[in-house]
Amino acid sequence: MKIGVFVCHCGENIGKTVDCATVAQRAAKIPGVAYSVDNKYMCSDPGQNVIKNAIREKKLDAVVVASCSPHMHEKTFRKAAADAGINKYLCEIANVREQCSWVHDNIPDATDKALDLVRIAVEKVKRNIPLTAIRVPVTKRALVIGGGISGIQAALDIANSGFEVVLVEKEPSIGGHMSQLSETFPTLDCSQCILTPRMVEVYQHPKIKLLTYSEVEKVEGFIGNFTVTIKKKARSIDEEKCTGCGLCIQKCPIKKKAFNEFEEGLATRPAIYVPFPQAVPNIPVIDRSVCTYYQTGKCQMCLKVCGREAILFEQQDTLVTEEVGSIVIATGYKLYSIDKKPEDSEIKGYGEYGYGKYKDVIDGLQFERIASASGPTNGEILRPSDKTQPKKIVFIQCVGSRDEQKGFSYCSKICCMYTAKHAMLYKHKVHDGEAYVFYMDIRAGGKMYEEFVRRAIEEDGVKYIRGRVSKIYRQNGKYIVKGEDTIAGMPVVIDADMVVLATAMVAQPNASKLAQTIGVPYDKYGFYQEVHPKLRPVEVSTAGVFLAGACQSPKDIPESVAMASAAAAKSLVLFGSDYLEREPTVAVVNEANCAGCFYCLKVCPYNAIEKKEVKNKLGEIIDYIAHVNAGLCQGCGTCNATCPSKSIELIGFNDEQIYAEINAFSESFV
Amino acid sequence: MNELREKAKELLLNNTVKLIIGYANGNGHNRTYPFIARNAADANRLVFNEYCVNNLAVYLTRKEFKGKGIIGIVAKGCDVKAIIQLIQENQINKDEVYIIGMNCNGAVNQLDNSFEKTTLAQKCINCTVRTPALYHALIGTTKDIEEPADTLGEKIKEVEKLNADSRWDFWEAQFEKCIKCYACRQVCPLCYCEQCIVDKTVPRWIESSAHTRGNFSWNIIRAFHLSGRCIGCGECERVCPMDIPLSMLNRKMSIIAKKEFDYSAGVSLDSPTLVGTYNMKDRQDFIK
Amino acid sequence: MSEEKFQPKIVAFVCNWCTYTGADLAGTSRLKYQPNVRLIRLPCTGRIDPVFIIKAFEKGADGVLVSGCHPGDCHYNLGNLHARRRFILFSELMNYVGIDSSRLHFSWVSASEGKKWVDVINEVIDTVREVGPFKKYQKINKEFVLHE
Repeated sequence: MKIGVFVCHCGENIGKTVDCATVAQRAAKIPGVAYSVDNKYMCSDPGQNVIKNAIREKKLDAVVVASCSPHMHEKTFRKAAADAGINKYLCEIANVREQCSWVHDNIPDATDKALDLVRIAVEKVKRNIPLTAIRVPVTKRALVIGGGISGIQAALDIANSGFEVVLVEKEPSIGGHMSQLSETFPTLDCSQCILTPRMVEVYQHPKIKLLTYSEVEKVEGFIGNFTVTIKKKARSIDEEKCTGCGLCIQKCPIKKKAFNEFEEGLATRPAIYVPFPQAVPNIPVIDRSVCTYYQTGKCQMCLKVCGREAILFEQQDTLVTEEVGSIVIATGYKLYSIDKKPEDSEIKGYGEYGYGKYKDVIDGLQFERIASASGPTNGEILRPSDKTQPKKIVFIQCVGSRDEQKGFSYCSKICCMYTAKHAMLYKHKVHDGEAYVFYMDIRAGGKMYEEFVRRAIEEDGVKYIRGRVSKIYRQNGKYIVKGEDTIAGMPVVIDADMVVLATAMVAQPNASKLAQTIGVPYDKYGFYQEVHPKLRPVEVSTAGVFLAGACQSPKDIPESVAMASAAAAKSLVLFGSDYLEREPTVAVVNEANCAGCFYCLKVCPYNAIEKKEVKNKLGEIIDYIAHVNAGLCQGCGTCNATCPSKSIELIGFNDEQIYAEINAFSESFV
Repeated sequence: MNELREKAKELLLNNTVKLIIGYANGNGHNRTYPFIARNAADANRLVFNEYCVNNLAVYLTRKEFKGKGIIGIVAKGCDVKAIIQLIQENQINKDEVYIIGMNCNGAVNQLDNSFEKTTLAQKCINCTVRTPALYHALIGTTKDIEEPADTLGEKIKEVEKLNADSRWDFWEAQFEKCIKCYACRQVCPLCYCEQCIVDKTVPRWIESSAHTRGNFSWNIIRAFHLSGRCIGCGECERVCPMDIPLSMLNRKMSIIAKKEFDYSAGVSLDSPTLVGTYNMKDRQDFIK
Repeated sequence: MSEEKFQPKIVAFVCNWCTYTGADLAGTSRLKYQPNVRLIRLPCTGRIDPVFIIKAFEKGADGVLVSGCHPGDCHYNLGNLHARRRFILFSELMNYVGIDSSRLHFSWVSASEGKKWVDVINEVIDTVREVGPFKKYQKINKEFVLHE
């Protein structure tokens, strides 16, 4: 084998500390090296031409480039090698910049080390074999998990590009938290008015398969080739027959028993219900936990009034499987409930704010419902306890956010803006009312955001007090809010009629379970972890899975929508090709030597090892040995290290290559 | 003895098993040797006594038996541990082995010795499986036996007390003796690899010549490959012609597995294997 | 580097995604460390087999460092967790036969811990320098060469 060694000076970056000419000269003496040369900039066009020409003229079989980290230019040099006609996997990089010239001062030492690194790379490349990138077909179909605004946006973008989408929503209707909002900052346009057309578009879209009241149970496969099992929970309704007339809902005798999730507990609903009038699909669901029939076996009022015989009391959960190529996770957030200490949490709670105990101490989403024209008060600002108009209202920001002592260290990002909006909505509806906001800082980074907050303060006269609230208690029908004005440096006491807490945005309670189902990393708060916070913000380490919206971290609507479109674009990039190319670094089994102990199977993080039958001449199974599904294998090599007989080896980092690298040390350090 | 023979006869005659791997008397001495009973006449030659020291589980993975129908095996509690481990490692199908479990009162340490307290085999000291954990038929009864002190545990502790250089010297002196006959591997029920790493030539991780360096890597890697798997039958040490105290390595690894992971090999079919599983709480104080 | 000072030979087996990238970061940040180490890049600590470590000693290493991603950070999710269990068993075994933690080192260094990489590698080099050349292994290495 004829190997070429190319030593890059990287201007002075390498050349200043490593004597590149000497490295090139001494490298020429390494057995197998047929040609070696140094150059000012190997990655430049002329530099790459040096490599290409040498490959052609010296008839090289493999090259080693001593340069910067392989994470920088391995691709560049592999391509140069391929352009000159050798297999790109016969190119190895000796990292003499980041791990040599930049970290050492002494020229002789750095030069010796550089030569060693070259020697190691030469010994490895001698044992490299020509490889071909793995091609796997792509299923051009996407799964979107979550039917809030992020999931809706991602689904529409993908579907409008002509690809099928399966949209899974766990609630009976899509719409998510945005459907609960009254108006949106900073434009104060009605949330429902801008959202519902999108919901309808999803419902009517020929490319979107909508599965509401459904949850993802299992995800198998890999990028381009996922098989997803989805549980359709029993609605107790025949979706084909139901016309959405709503008669069953009107006649249901359970009017005032059930907790109304959509109204955040500020109203009740029947046992058979749609979450809200604009629900998509407009098909009711029976809440079996409160329905008289399921409790006592009697009633069946809905069945009696349904002209279509669409009520199915005996309906069961069903499992459906879908084949998709990409997955967009848009499962959103929850508001941190401070009324009791959450289990399995270090959060200490905010008992001193009396939330859950005092009816008029509510959270942001409850205020949204109170302010909403379709809400329990038809948009009139009335306090929950006695339906009177509060004349003095206090908003407290950062309840749970930015509070390592009792809450979470992160900023929930949207509370500054929605609190300004709430205060403004209040002032617009209660002209003689007083609104106070306790804040730590005002974070209004965003287009027209700062102006919006200024408007609340300057035009609508909302009083902002910088400081924390230490206690809320009842006295003479009032809620006494004791806090501190840290600018004035004095305590503040406000006798409020109502208090709104801007509680932290938290991950969905089952976020980690879904993450484990799909194989998505998540942070200590349960938010999903992107691959790179700046450059790969919507991808996760499991290829083919993308993130949209607040499941990744707290976000407002425009950010969620932008991220959803980005996740859609990432899916579309995938669907742009019929096949995927992957690094051929995968494990292979030496079938003659495999004893079938399957420790490889136990350690494989990707379930990429299968049991392969060994049959005798009669076709009877006589044994099982390991087999690698190259589509699933990601090339970690844990199987290789675990196998006692080394009967499974990782191509590209096999035992022979690593042995050769270690062996190169016996020549080293001289 | 009759109980065993009758059971064996019954199993062979009603075709429950194809054959029975057991022990038969040797030529005149106390010794017994591994014996394959294929019919009722053979069954009458089966014996079980304190000289049945071999771990017969090693035969279960042999090509001539594996996958050839249900095999009966006469097994002590310790041997059953190996069988459990082999089932967990997919080497034998649990439906294709019929365990004639022997209630065991200990085996002798040297086949030339008569059986008494002082000659109890090392592996029998502190035995917790005198009645096997898994069996299809159970033969015999256990009785109280007197046990000598656990000298192996003491020897391990003594080596642990030495400084690193002295520990090295101790083991260098042991490994120096190795002649790479691989009797340890041959007799081990868990050394079933199709090709042992020491026989692999590309690359040659372990030098095969009988020199201290290759002996060192051989014995270390063998102990490592057996860690969390060795069930402590002590057969390797028994057959070693150079008297290398291999049990001092294997027992040490069992002690570590117990201490670090509360794990013992071959105890139950249901417990996950030590290698191949992980725990987020695994110790990492040695990792910077 | 002064002549009389012992210069230990350290072999480091590192994972590609965390420690190798962390070592790159040390370079990008122009942090300095002693040059006595040679890295072998592997995809994951899960790929690191104890035979590599023994072979490194056979080839004259005075010390070995194994380094990868912190638990929970593994690019392959679980590779380092299986590796950790393997290293617990192996380091105890090595210690028992006389190769203790002064020669066999383990660390978790993430892609963002360039400084930690520098501290770890300097500490490893200093520790091995303290205990001196690995004469015990060198003796059997030398005998082996003669023997062959």
